[in-house]
Amino acid sequence: MAAVGTATIEQYNYDIVRKFSIMALFWAVIGMAMGVFIASQLAWPFLNMDPWFTFGRLRPIHTGGVIFGFGGCALFATSYYVVQRTCQTRLFADGLASFTFWGWQLIIVLAASSYVLGYSQGKEYAEMEWPIDLLITVVWVAYIAVFVGTVMKRKQPHIYVANWFYIVFLLAVALLHLGNGLAVPVSLTTMKSYPLFSGAQDAMIQWWYGHNAVGFFLTAAFLGMMYYYVPKQAGRPIYSYRLSIVHFWALSFMYMWAGPHHLHWTALPDWVSTMGATFSIMLLLPSWGGMINGIMTLSGAWDKLRTDPIMRFMIVALSFYGMSTFEGPMMSLKDVNALSHYTDWTVGHVHSGALGWVAMISFGALYHMIPRLWDTKLYSTKLVTVHFWLATIGILLYITAMWISGIMQGLMWRAFDDFGNLQYSFAETVAAMHPFYVMRALGGLVFVSGMLVMAYNCWMTISQGKAAEAGPAPVAA
Amino acid sequence: MSHATESKFQNTTGHVWDDDLQEYNNPLPAWWLWTFYATIIFALIYWFMYPSWPVGKGFLTGTNTIEYVNDKGEKKVSHWNTRALLMQDMNEAAAKQKPYFDKVAATPFDKINADPELKGFIVSAGKVLFQDNCAACHQSGGQGKFGFAPNLTDDDWLYGGSYDKIQETITNGRHGIMPAKGGNASLTDAQVTALANYVLSLSGEQMDAAKVQQGDELFHGAGACFGCHGADGKGNQAIGSANLTDKIWLWANVPGAKTADEKVAAVKAVINSGLNKGVMPAWKGRLSDEQIKLLAVYVHELGGGK
Repeated sequence: MAAVGTATIEQYNYDIVRKFSIMALFWAVIGMAMGVFIASQLAWPFLNMDPWFTFGRLRPIHTGGVIFGFGGCALFATSYYVVQRTCQTRLFADGLASFTFWGWQLIIVLAASSYVLGYSQGKEYAEMEWPIDLLITVVWVAYIAVFVGTVMKRKQPHIYVANWFYIVFLLAVALLHLGNGLAVPVSLTTMKSYPLFSGAQDAMIQWWYGHNAVGFFLTAAFLGMMYYYVPKQAGRPIYSYRLSIVHFWALSFMYMWAGPHHLHWTALPDWVSTMGATFSIMLLLPSWGGMINGIMTLSGAWDKLRTDPIMRFMIVALSFYGMSTFEGPMMSLKDVNALSHYTDWTVGHVHSGALGWVAMISFGALYHMIPRLWDTKLYSTKLVTVHFWLATIGILLYITAMWISGIMQGLMWRAFDDFGNLQYSFAETVAAMHPFYVMRALGGLVFVSGMLVMAYNCWMTISQGKAAEAGPAPVAA
Repeated sequence: MSHATESKFQNTTGHVWDDDLQEYNNPLPAWWLWTFYATIIFALIYWFMYPSWPVGKGFLTGTNTIEYVNDKGEKKVSHWNTRALLMQDMNEAAAKQKPYFDKVAATPFDKINADPELKGFIVSAGKVLFQDNCAACHQSGGQGKFGFAPNLTDDDWLYGGSYDKIQETITNGRHGIMPAKGGNASLTDAQVTALANYVLSLSGEQMDAAKVQQGDELFHGAGACFGCHGADGKGNQAIGSANLTDKIWLWANVPGAKTADEKVAAVKAVINSGLNKGVMPAWKGRLSDEQIKLLAVYVHELGGGK
């Protein structure tokens, strides 16, 4: 067994995967805890500490911490692991891979510090100012080189489906980042810059970026993750090769058009708005292709859902994926959007995708991979079950609170009385949301406590792996 | 082991990665494919009916039309668009409001309250207008905030509490100024202390008699305070100078002071620095004349109207 482990370590670069896996767990704890804190700031405003620790400055630390910190590191880790194992070759350019690790961590730390100090481009999920944007560009090019370089020197004739998804993610994110990052610095010695585009054009560029960040960062890339870890954990073949091809191309084509649905009922021309809505509707089935392929892979081995909590994470992730990719196209219809836009419903929708899909599939992948990386067994399967229930209950509390609060908010905003007067003032709608803000913070707290259980379980697993590695060595010597 | 895995599954594509990763060669699920086609047909119909693809400098406007009344009251027909839809919604509500607003504009203040239906309208419209425009400073119940904005529910008015005065205040805004030391920079610290003692005595505080006596002389003499606050210290609503004889304080933190010394210090702070922060913006142009008149009635009825 130990001999096999050594051979594996020589064949593949596991060191970089280990580093990114640990940082994925680290940023998950930080980013999600920050989420609970800012949710509490909304429920109890005295927690806003002017000027550094206000909701406005901390919110991008939460979103950046979970998307780019946790999500990003999980994607680096899994993509480097998957590409090596499915191409049956060692990672291309170890040094460059190591650069992507340190570069990426630096980006997250710099971004978070700059937000606290008040630097922001004011673009959602792209708040980083131009010097950080330039660093991202360099690191991303290195990432593409490492990944594509590895695919090019593969010892397998075919490129596995997971790698297609990782590649489209790499290319699309590069395109989006370059497009939305176009800005003119005030001077070379200041952090401040202004976007190249203005008005409705700038808004359109931002949401072309914003929606495709969801589409290619949070969907396509995590589908890549799903396509490796689900069949591996289930020990069964992917349900349909043909479906994977068709939904891959349909998804990649349709997603790029859907951005305008973030700007319904604004200064954006109606025809652009229509494009966003209709392409979102056409996106439904291509999105579901991934869910079907994942869930049907388990067909014939449903009993694993009872016995394997890691499998349960993956299947629940796919279910949430299916649900939120149904909810999204519905919300993109102009009439539904008239009610949902600017309300907490949007926040709930994002979190059913982010917690339900992105986080749950990453948990499953990390639980599968971490014992293998350190050549050991998971410290406790029971704790995985505990984590599963905490995560699921946390999500349900969160999105239920946001559904109720969001729909209530939307209905209150548009309510007229018999005189034709607005029935509620804005302040009254805020007061009505308060109990649900508390419930949301509580849901987040439950989710984070599950995350802490996972961090502990992984910590113990890694220590156990290290001890086993150090243990037999002197005996052999 | 790996041979066993390979033969275990039938109908795969034949590719194997990483020991046991394989793919079935299943066809696309029929329901998936047909639903996908259905969404495409949905989009085609949508494009036909609503504004869609750009063509040249314009775009396909779609077959759907919308009828709406514009701001000038003219009936218009246009291709379907969200702007017109919004206008339709807003104009519908505005049409319901109009007879009431017309009535508000036409009815003199003293007759407005006699009409129960009109009163109902004012309470309903006023609540939201007040909370969306006024409450940020005067708070949601109009109770004001110490050191920031006056209480509108008591009967103490800086600029007058009649309907007309309130309407004037909302329309043009207000800007209250008190010069530091009343404009007499030569006042000594001892003199300011004496003035503070006198001012506090006006509202019934038990203060040092000698200092009150000295302050009285300064108030009506070298300090020239009486010029704005009046010989009796009751203020002047024409210029918004405060009544010093009641126990209502907006700027000097007398209510928060525990000892007589703290009270003196609080009043001294205001005398020494003067005031230039009592600013209320003008709402003319932001709210319509009818909305302002309605708000004047609403504020008047909060409790202290005169």
